[in-house]
Amino acid sequence: MRLPIINDLYDAGSRLLGRAGDLVSGGILEQDVRLGVTGLRRAGKTVFVTALVDNLLKAGRLPFLDVVSSGRFQASRLRPQPDPDVPRFELEDHLASLTGPDPHWPERTRGISQLRLSLRYRPNAVLKRTIQPVATLNLDIIDYPGEWLLDLPLLHQSFSEWSALTLDLAGRPPRDELSQSWRGWLATVDPAAPAEEEEARRGAALYTEYLHACRRSENLLSLIQPGRFVEPGDLANAPLLTFCPLPGERRGRGSLWALMEDRYEAYKKTLVRGFFAEHFAKLDRQIVLIDVLGALNSGPAGMSDMKRALELSLEPFRHGSSGWLDWLLGTKIDRVLFAATKADHVASHQHNSLRHLLDRLVSDARSGIRFEGAQVETMAIAALKSTETVVSEHEGRQLRCVRGVPIGRDRPTVLYPGEIPEDADFPPGRERPYNFMAFQPPADLARETRGLPHIRLDQALQFLLGDYLE
Amino acid sequence: MTERTRDSAWVPPMELDPERAVPVPAVEEEAIIAGAAAERLPVLLAEDRPKSRLGRWLVGGIAALVLVALGFDTWDLFTRAFATSIALGVLVASAVAVAGGAAVAMLLGELRSLRRLRKIESLRVEAERLSTVETPAGEADRFAGSLTRLYDGRADLAPALERVKDQVTDAHDDSEIVRLLDREVLAPLDRRAYQTVLRASRDTAVATALSPAAVVDLAVVLWRNLKLVREIAALYGARPGYVGSLKLLRRMLANIAVAGVAESAHHVAVEALGGSIAAAISTRMGQGVINGLLTARVGITAMHLCRPIAFGPANRPSLGQIRKELLSLPKQVL
Repeated sequence: MRLPIINDLYDAGSRLLGRAGDLVSGGILEQDVRLGVTGLRRAGKTVFVTALVDNLLKAGRLPFLDVVSSGRFQASRLRPQPDPDVPRFELEDHLASLTGPDPHWPERTRGISQLRLSLRYRPNAVLKRTIQPVATLNLDIIDYPGEWLLDLPLLHQSFSEWSALTLDLAGRPPRDELSQSWRGWLATVDPAAPAEEEEARRGAALYTEYLHACRRSENLLSLIQPGRFVEPGDLANAPLLTFCPLPGERRGRGSLWALMEDRYEAYKKTLVRGFFAEHFAKLDRQIVLIDVLGALNSGPAGMSDMKRALELSLEPFRHGSSGWLDWLLGTKIDRVLFAATKADHVASHQHNSLRHLLDRLVSDARSGIRFEGAQVETMAIAALKSTETVVSEHEGRQLRCVRGVPIGRDRPTVLYPGEIPEDADFPPGRERPYNFMAFQPPADLARETRGLPHIRLDQALQFLLGDYLE
Repeated sequence: MTERTRDSAWVPPMELDPERAVPVPAVEEEAIIAGAAAERLPVLLAEDRPKSRLGRWLVGGIAALVLVALGFDTWDLFTRAFATSIALGVLVASAVAVAGGAAVAMLLGELRSLRRLRKIESLRVEAERLSTVETPAGEADRFAGSLTRLYDGRADLAPALERVKDQVTDAHDDSEIVRLLDREVLAPLDRRAYQTVLRASRDTAVATALSPAAVVDLAVVLWRNLKLVREIAALYGARPGYVGSLKLLRRMLANIAVAGVAESAHHVAVEALGGSIAAAISTRMGQGVINGLLTARVGITAMHLCRPIAFGPANRPSLGQIRKELLSLPKQVL
């Protein structure tokens, strides 16, 4: 434990220096804000970032963004990114796949990427206006996998704590079936036995297999720890990724248990802490996208899994709660938005229910966070609106439905996906209450000159950036 | 509609025939405004009409007497004029016709302006309902429709209304549409109204400070306040007639006295204090500042009463800037 503390001190020091540098250099003339975008359960991060940038560039559909609606917005443009070692977000490719002649959703992205957008506007605040009539805000959008966010709580967990939690989770439905072979292996090994690389590799492989199965399963389980196991990049088979949770208490030196613990700590130190110090700690604002509808589709088990993942993902924003180490580790993030994406898959009068549902999911953790630091908000949004709400008659009743082209078909359909009750996740006593479908992006987006159509993207932006653009 | 769906038997998720689906219908426009007005009317009546029925009988009786007397007199005038000469008779008859026609036209104008005021009132109630209660979707469209009709033919607002129409999609819920109208259409009006109030309060302050006699500044203040109320009402689309303005002024006085609108006792104290500091510099200047503040309060109350969507906590106009402006006045003049 000695070394990490020194590391933290070093990180905190360099961050402080960096902030001071910001103030002295461009801090007054140009303001920087770093917006983290991440998502659970294939929530559509890529589409979100693409739509956000496109809308900010064209600024034709943002009535709820104050700076635009009050006419103070001048223009925005893409600028070279500030960090040399982070890949660029491939905006043009993603936009092309959405607006091309054969519109399709962009490929899912792996790893971290970044894009810098500069916004020019006339400040509203008197002091700012006197200093400079036209201000520039550099918006750095940092897109990273949701699993990395879920890795952050590991920093506070020891190997034995984490093992206990993971094993408990793996034994419960719907995960118990997926984890069968890995748990079978666990039953045969003795954690106290001398460490064998072969055993460790086998355990890690089975555990990784289980994580992959979780991600692939139709329940789309969101809680995947450690995140790099499923997206190893060039670290595949490195000792860093060759461990897995083990039952029982701490064992002696040289045992399998000790080997796994060492690697767990190394994973934390190198990957999790690295991500934290280099990226997460520098963020100013964060949006977490969640595919709530997908979880509803998969039933109560999928929902409870997502609730757990959400609680974990809120953990990193809970700063200042436990002592000085946290203070050093603390983020500057002061606003967090949890957004239920794909709101266009339900009729518009259901948006409120969707939002209430998300509210319930994060409510416990949220009150704590409000009290301690960051402001937390929830919304139901759609980065790219691909359906419209229509009314259709069924057995003499008017039903509000959505109309769009489902993926894999070429003609539009009208879908009644089922209604979310106001105060519960599922209507009581129904077998398959929901059928939310995936729709294709709308055709001829290329002619769109005002920006991609969306639902409440402007309100999300207002919450995340509104105070910077005053 | 939706509520009913929710209460009755449950419908499983399914796909339906695309041919039979229609866009979300907008409900009849008049129905809701009429409904809201009818809901609101008893309260309005209770507020505005005198409590005693006897008084109304008295007024009605006297009015009838005057009308009958007028009729007799006019008839007398006719016969005497025709007895003297035909030409004089025709002249008198046409004078009577013009006077009568003008009176009727004025009456109609007053009635129409009263109706507009009442409509704004009902719009405000409706806006409040749309943004707090969950209503079946589609009602906000109607609200937007009546607001658009209220501002029909206003060249200055046409672009804003057009913009709102462009930006509203089927995904916006009612409270969002109301908020959008508030921001796009009414916010610019608020700024102009605030400038009007600022100008009027500066006028009264200067007039009071410079006027030689108390009677003169009383007249100036009264005239300026009435003009201010009419200006603001016209800006928000109420276009009040004389009766309407008087009515507004009366309700405003009640509001200033009772509710104090946005201002608390604290603010009044600050104003009085600010006034007394100015008074220390110059008595007339102090009076000017106080009169100016009074005008500002009248103007801001008028803004509250004439706005089709009630102010929220974020955009509610405050006396702050006006106060600052007025308190710097002595320095400017001296």
